Amino acid sequence: MSNYMETIGTEVHVELKTNTKIFSSSKNGYGMMANSLTNVVDLGYPGTLPTLNKEVLNTAIRACHVLHCNIRKKMHFDRKNYFYPDNSKNYQITQATTPIGYDGYVEIEADGKKKKIEIEEIHIEEDTCKSAHRGSVTLLDFNRAGVPLIEIVTKPCIENSTEAKLYLEKLKELLFYADISDCKMEEGSMRCDANVSLRKKIEDPLGVKCEIKNIGSISNVKLAIEKEIERQSKILDDGETLVEQTRRFDDKLKDTVLMRVKETKNDYRYFPEPDIPYVVLTDAEIEKALESLPMLPEERRQRYLERNVSEVNISKIIANRPLSDFLNEFLDTSIDFSTATNLLLGDISFYLNKNEVTIKDTKLTNSKFIDLVNKLSNRTLTSKNIKDILDTILESEKEIDEIMKEKGISNITDTSVLESVVKKVIEDNPESVSDYKSGKDRAVKYLMGQIMKETKGSANPKMVNEILMQELNDNENSR
Amino acid sequence: MSKYLDLELLEIHNLLKNGKITPTDLVLEAFERVEEKKELNCFVTLDKEGALQRAKELEKEEIKGITYGIPIAIKDNIITKNLRTTASSKMLENFIPIYDADVVRKVKEAQMIVIGKTNMDEFAMGSSTQTSYFGPTKNPWNQNLVPGGSSGGSATVVSSRIVPLALGTDTGGSIRQPSSFCGIVGLKPTYGRVSRYGVIAFASSLDQVGPMTRTVYENAVVLNSICGKSDLDLTSVETKEDFTRLIGKDIHGMKLAIPKFYISDAIDSEIRENLQKVVSFLEKQGCTISYVDIDYIEQAVTLYQIIAMGEASSNLARYDGIRYGYRYENPKDMNDLYVKSRRFGFGDEVKRRIMVGSYLLSGENATTYYNKALEIRNEMKNSFQNVFREYDLIIGPTATTKAYSLGKDLDDAVKSFMDDILTIPVNMAGLPGMNLPIGFSNDHLPIGMQIIGNHFEEAKIYQLASFIEKELHLNLNPNEGDTNV
Repeated sequence: MSNYMETIGTEVHVELKTNTKIFSSSKNGYGMMANSLTNVVDLGYPGTLPTLNKEVLNTAIRACHVLHCNIRKKMHFDRKNYFYPDNSKNYQITQATTPIGYDGYVEIEADGKKKKIEIEEIHIEEDTCKSAHRGSVTLLDFNRAGVPLIEIVTKPCIENSTEAKLYLEKLKELLFYADISDCKMEEGSMRCDANVSLRKKIEDPLGVKCEIKNIGSISNVKLAIEKEIERQSKILDDGETLVEQTRRFDDKLKDTVLMRVKETKNDYRYFPEPDIPYVVLTDAEIEKALESLPMLPEERRQRYLERNVSEVNISKIIANRPLSDFLNEFLDTSIDFSTATNLLLGDISFYLNKNEVTIKDTKLTNSKFIDLVNKLSNRTLTSKNIKDILDTILESEKEIDEIMKEKGISNITDTSVLESVVKKVIEDNPESVSDYKSGKDRAVKYLMGQIMKETKGSANPKMVNEILMQELNDNENSR
Repeated sequence: MSKYLDLELLEIHNLLKNGKITPTDLVLEAFERVEEKKELNCFVTLDKEGALQRAKELEKEEIKGITYGIPIAIKDNIITKNLRTTASSKMLENFIPIYDADVVRKVKEAQMIVIGKTNMDEFAMGSSTQTSYFGPTKNPWNQNLVPGGSSGGSATVVSSRIVPLALGTDTGGSIRQPSSFCGIVGLKPTYGRVSRYGVIAFASSLDQVGPMTRTVYENAVVLNSICGKSDLDLTSVETKEDFTRLIGKDIHGMKLAIPKFYISDAIDSEIRENLQKVVSFLEKQGCTISYVDIDYIEQAVTLYQIIAMGEASSNLARYDGIRYGYRYENPKDMNDLYVKSRRFGFGDEVKRRIMVGSYLLSGENATTYYNKALEIRNEMKNSFQNVFREYDLIIGPTATTKAYSLGKDLDDAVKSFMDDILTIPVNMAGLPGMNLPIGFSNDHLPIGMQIIGNHFEEAKIYQLASFIEKELHLNLNPNEGDTNV
């Protein structure tokens, strides 16, 4: 597509899922009334000072761990000074020189080949407030001011837009599973900037880079990079020189547009934040922060594979965190995971979606789920039965046995009983048996029907079918 | 007219305890004195109504301690809930906070009564209280002279006996130097001893709140009330002790050090002579006095300018006309709003320091100047530590001169810092330091000495200071003429 080698780096901002803000006791929340989650510290009132939310450090430590970064034991915060109305103190507290995490990676798989996307650093900082432009005025909502962020910066090691997309998807999955962030790009809890540059050959120095800011979705990141490569290639092909600039992705145009040309390097007058003493992390503190780390997707995949869940179902259930978390509660039990996964992704998901509830909202206790899966595995219940009684199982406190009794479900699972019924029906219907032998498959259906009639529908059809075929074939051989 | 406020704190306390007087009597007397001393211009904002209401409330409360019902004045860079707080700047001329500084909360908890906010150099930038937007404060010993600064208003209200107690702040000498010029006891505590939450920041790594009082004992009593760790200030430290505990204890065997830099020719000869008298007395009392060198102490002012102005340029960035404070009307655009609000909201000295500070942190300068200054500051700190390994306290003069004329040196940016060459090293090292009045010049102006302790050794400073105070027994009331010369 292009005559040039592409070099891409990303900077991803992720809002941390903490109870309170990073430097004040205000609640950290989304979608609340404007300026309802704010106090004099967030508003940068005179004389106010930052405090430091321990939960932020713990969450950042978890992020470092899942992204394979080294964790810095002694660090400080810095002030990044710049004037902007969304920046209440006109400086942002960040980590300019001692990022909490450094030298990590995220492993992706592109075209069957594994590749490590290298992470330069992870640093902690505070979010700015949100501005809304209304005609000639700008309104400020400080609910977001002071929400904790981590910024994850990759090395310029991404070679194409697909890699960028795969990296972001993997990053999102990891951060979401490690309870670090909601990672909702549409709500701004995950935001991505991409740096793109081109050069002729690998020996050349990196080309002039352009930064594309705040792209709203992962697919748009891919698109924005492709558009930017197109734009830069054309300029270079025309023999013109590129200038360093900041662009943004316009969702309507589906293209990048110029924000500003970088003429001089920004001068943020960084210096160490004197209001926050150095932070020293001990091994014990780091260990403690990692104790609460939920099981990550990679391990889930492995564990489900060991329990004979199909690849398709593994992908599906990992994409549905609440169901996967629910399933994990049974890792120590001996239930059949294949059956359990089918049940969760099939009838249970159907019920949850239809009723717009989560699995935790239902009356499905762990012991009931174990009972249900076991009854399906040992054929005490048929999948037909499930369709009839699942609503009741999920909506009432009753045990499954009780529900089955009420609905009159009693499946014959005793093989010897079934065998005798099958034998009786074969003896009673010799013409069907001869039809079967002359190759009329319809006869099997008829016989099945007779057996079900004989057992008043309480026989497991699958078992009956197996026994019937066995008997018919034996019958044939014995003649 | 009653004269209760001229009595010592303990005497006032006994009268209150025995029901001879009420907090309301004290508040009314304080406001009579405010009227009498109006020409000193020591207050930016008074709160007679609030003070009287609080006095009435207190009359129904149980007496918790010696500070019960005592009127106190608060420097105007310390945030007071529902009481205008301006930092003596046009920028905050109409700023009425909805929160209290930690120290104000503590003062109120200790049942003191806030009567008003004292004048100061704008944003505490200055050492003569002449950069105030609300005009200069005058020295109670001679109204043609400056009271010192930046806590000039607080020094004046205590010296002129309007109230017995005041709070000041000290970034480079702003409590000790005006205390010296006005003849009162002023202490800058160890950095971290007192919470800075609610103190309008000038230079965050140097600022500290401290008590300004008539006597050493009263000073220790106020420090007892305002110290302690706060959850709202990460640089504050938990310490619980009674600062009066060593007052009156013998000083025999105390080892004192005088930095050679502190007795140079740059110091007014009258000040040196007065200090020498004290030194001789202390030697007689069994103290040993040695002369020591402290590394980089002569560079302290330069280091201070880099660090304090760098931090100030960032701390004062928040005054932009957007959320509170002065806002330029009808700006052309956002940038114009910033520029004009700050151009017209800040005075010259503040703007000068913001510009210098911004320059010092700009690009490569941050490494060349700011980071280098932090390194040298550490060296100086270590050098002080070495002295304290061998000596109990460091003594010397507080200021290089006595109080000087109003209007002098106002436009000499460098000269004004030279006032602080003896106080700044103490802030740079985060140490506690006190001004103690030790005598008068020939023209009857107060002269002070400085007592510097190791980190968190304020009690030892009070011990030595109270001993000298008792021996000298000076009449430090400017209202009583020169009967004690």
